[in-house]
Amino acid sequence: MTTTPVRDHVWSVLHDAFEHVAARHGEPVVLSSLAHGLGPGHPHTRYGFVLGPPGRLVAMAVGLRAALPRSPLVLVGATDAFTIGTNHLIHAARRNIGMTLVLLRADVFDAGESVMLDRAEPARASVAADIAPRPSPLAWAAALGATFVARASLRAPAELADLLDEAVTAGGFSVVGVTNDASLPTGVQSRQEWPEFFGTYRAWSDSLPRTRTRRPGPGAPRPPDDAPARVEVRIAGVGGQGIKLGGTVLSEAAGAQGLWATQIGDYGAATRGGASSVDVVFGSRPITYPGADHPDVRVDLSQAAADVADVAAQVLVADDRLTAADSALVLPLVAIARERTGGQLSAGIVSLGAIAAITGWPSIDALAGVASRKVPERVAAANVAAMREAYDLTGRILEGRR
Amino acid sequence: MSPPSFLTGNQAIAEGAIAAGCRFYAGYPITPSSEIAEVLSGRLPEVGGVFVQMEDEIASIGAVVGASLGGLKAATATSGPGFSLMQENIGFAVATEIPCVIVDVQRVGPSTGLPTKVAQGDIMQARWGTHGDHPIIAIYPSSVQECFDLTVRAFDLAERFRTPVMLLSDAVVAGLREQVEVRTISRPAVRSGPGVEPAVYRPFDYSGDRPPPLAPFGTGYRYHVTGLIHDERGAPTEDPALVARWWQYMRRKLDAHLDEILDWEERSLEDADTVVVAYGCTARAAAHAVDLARDEGVPAGLLTLRTIWPFPDAVIDRLADRASRFVVAELNLGQVRAEVERVVRGRAEVAGLHRTDGLQLSPVQIVAELSSKRPVA
Repeated sequence: MTTTPVRDHVWSVLHDAFEHVAARHGEPVVLSSLAHGLGPGHPHTRYGFVLGPPGRLVAMAVGLRAALPRSPLVLVGATDAFTIGTNHLIHAARRNIGMTLVLLRADVFDAGESVMLDRAEPARASVAADIAPRPSPLAWAAALGATFVARASLRAPAELADLLDEAVTAGGFSVVGVTNDASLPTGVQSRQEWPEFFGTYRAWSDSLPRTRTRRPGPGAPRPPDDAPARVEVRIAGVGGQGIKLGGTVLSEAAGAQGLWATQIGDYGAATRGGASSVDVVFGSRPITYPGADHPDVRVDLSQAAADVADVAAQVLVADDRLTAADSALVLPLVAIARERTGGQLSAGIVSLGAIAAITGWPSIDALAGVASRKVPERVAAANVAAMREAYDLTGRILEGRR
Repeated sequence: MSPPSFLTGNQAIAEGAIAAGCRFYAGYPITPSSEIAEVLSGRLPEVGGVFVQMEDEIASIGAVVGASLGGLKAATATSGPGFSLMQENIGFAVATEIPCVIVDVQRVGPSTGLPTKVAQGDIMQARWGTHGDHPIIAIYPSSVQECFDLTVRAFDLAERFRTPVMLLSDAVVAGLREQVEVRTISRPAVRSGPGVEPAVYRPFDYSGDRPPPLAPFGTGYRYHVTGLIHDERGAPTEDPALVARWWQYMRRKLDAHLDEILDWEERSLEDADTVVVAYGCTARAAAHAVDLARDEGVPAGLLTLRTIWPFPDAVIDRLADRASRFVVAELNLGQVRAEVERVVRGRAEVAGLHRTDGLQLSPVQIVAELSSKRPVA
């Protein structure tokens, strides 16, 4: 670890400024990608200090600010130290997250140090004039909405300490440029007043109720003696047919009857009408594999689903609009949904009536009980009525087959 | 204790984080992990914590590291592409021994891959994603109950061993919805102090085999945190003797406590001639397959790994003495199989069942492998 004398001098001036800030605001946490400068063997720092990857320090400071609402957070870097991760800087500034950037201008370092953003120039002056206007980080910070922007000089340590104190006092995202160039003016350059991000967040979260009671579940599974060991159900159709909701009601109704149950799906978006399917497995034993690869009942609600229904389902149910396998039990599921609820959004729920009639599990009453809680109140009764209609119809058809 | 209710794996991870005392989450949404962020954006402010959506995954892990230094238990969640972006600061957290939890809900990669089909291809990224021979802990639930329980465990391990903990999941476990008991355990939300005076506090004491507690910044403990290899006060050092001691300690702090870290489940292994090794969603299919194989009279058993890293060498080693065959079922091209081969050292046949097309291994596929004739020696 080598540090130049100039850099040690910089740290020395900054350290005095940090002491000044600490006296008024409490101990600061300082983050920098520049070596501390207090020399090897220094037993420990006089403030919390993070020597970390350039640029990422801004993101770390966001987390520190969330954890430490009042501690001064000061980031120290050469003006190019934040070009890795400038997006972090922009976001912190635009959200007004409370931290102070101390931007060391190139002139505070020895000549021959790494190339600094504010003095990098193409070799040919004519090109420089055309493509490389001199960057102005402080103007840029002001444009981002920084709460407080100032320039200080190494040559005036007391003013530097005061400006750093003002920057911390401002409470939001603030920037203090530091130069060693006597020709540059120092002092406050701009101020903008707006709320600090986490202060606003905390005021909002403090207004929330602190306790939320969880709705109790149905209790540990205690399967009835006559429950089947494992029943696999697959409902397949398109997004917008309430297939995911159907799976939720089916699995929770099984749970309400003391069975183990799983639900897993590939859910299409209603707006896209893409393929959508749900697998529900329930039974008296804990469910190992949650897939319904060999369904006891498979319900197809779309032609695409019916076309690929190549699995060896014990009972194949198809909506009556579809061209389905000869073995399929054809039911007007979508028609019942439309008639009772005005659309096919409840087709998944209606399917459960057919499934209950075929498997006997879960009971239609358990399904109705869960559906009336899970379906939006406005259409809950209509959905339950539609499900019961499918249950009764399926029962009559099965009775007729016997 | 609250009675079981239905949650998805992602929801259970979020509830587990709250129960574990997590009070800070920074993340950037990516399927199939986004539901974790969605739930925590509502739950954290309710318990006085902070949820913040960051500009990218690099910033997310940065903010998590910062919050943890400030004393909060902190986590982020992502999927493969975001996990790659986080590796720089995961390394920083390893080197500086800052506790945090990173959830990686795996999907098919590399790059955007198959959004957002299931895969288990980040096993080695969880181990070696950041550079250097660092120690790491990675754990992997295969049920919604384990999503809750192992999330609590992830935070506990992160605190105890002052390390990032990778909580691996996958697109199937994430979306799986089943019964879970959301236990009413609650861990402290704010890390307590180290219990010694600031003047004598050595935040990186590496004389023992456990890290000292990390004192939150802003509480009077002023120390130096750096990704440079450092002495026990945190000052950078290049002294070879000190650097060697640091490495020995970093290895020791996990290796000396494998009994606290390793976690696995055995199914029908007592008399198993064939051992299926699986984890995450694949373990569910494998459990079903082993039951089916047993029904056919095939003496198969299942070892479900809950701790992936450090790898449970001793468990595999014990089984290799009595089984004649291992079948490693995983949604990658052999990341854990190679580990099993390393430990088995030729004492038993090691076969792989691998799938990377975005679909799960089915029980039927696994049963077929279990019932297949072994090659004639």
